[in-house]
Amino acid sequence: MIPTHWFLILSAILFAIGVCGVLTRKNGITIFMSIELMVNAVNLTFLAYARQFHQIHGLIFVFFVMAIAAAEAAVGLAIFISLFHHRATIDVDEANLMRW
Amino acid sequence: MIEYAVFFFFAAVAVIFALMVVLHRNPVVGALALVASFFALAVMYVLLEAPFLAALQVIVYAGAIMVLFLFVIMLLNLQKQSEEPTRPLQQFLGYAGSAAFGIGLVYYLSKYAVMELPAGPFIADARTVGIRLFEAYIFPFEMVSILLLAAIVGALLLSGVRMEERT
Repeated sequence: MIPTHWFLILSAILFAIGVCGVLTRKNGITIFMSIELMVNAVNLTFLAYARQFHQIHGLIFVFFVMAIAAAEAAVGLAIFISLFHHRATIDVDEANLMRW
Repeated sequence: MIEYAVFFFFAAVAVIFALMVVLHRNPVVGALALVASFFALAVMYVLLEAPFLAALQVIVYAGAIMVLFLFVIMLLNLQKQSEEPTRPLQQFLGYAGSAAFGIGLVYYLSKYAVMELPAGPFIADARTVGIRLFEAYIFPFEMVSILLLAAIVGALLLSGVRMEERT
């Protein structure tokens, strides 16, 4: 069996890559994919700790996270389609109507 | 020993394809790289003795959600749009901040989160998860079904079904 902290370190690296994508990119869909990457890194942490402490609750939580990620992806992509119809771009810096 | 080889190979695959998602200019390539990264994560779930969730990862994430992403990217014809780079200051702060965050997290985990392996196997197949899901977690399960229904209606409304055109 592989020690738990290897999985935690992999999860931390993936989460940091996702943070980097959200902070440095302007394409809305790429930012969204980076968020999915972070969600998956957290799922990996849940499963690593579930095995470490023999808790089935971690798996149930990952199940719900997947369901909610599906709902989030559907609504978020619909918002981007709507934004594209209005502005002909999905550059998130262009959607600045409510900007201070 | 073979377990370690599998772990490090697929960890490298996951990290490299995740970097590709963030660094590649073309969102279609990014979406396909994200699919590859999710497959590598499914292998991680198998190594963590959760085959049910590995199957869900492949079917729901790599199958359904990423196909939705690809459809939207191709529907909007995004690969023709050139994405202008962000401001240099934002670029620098983004890379430096996330690198510092990641290095700090890895340092903390490798120093303080090293634990003994649990004794005995952990059985988390579909049967165990299903029994727990439909006994203790039945209420959240039904709530998620309502949430998914609301997401379907919201997505339809947002993505261009115009009510005034219909009537």
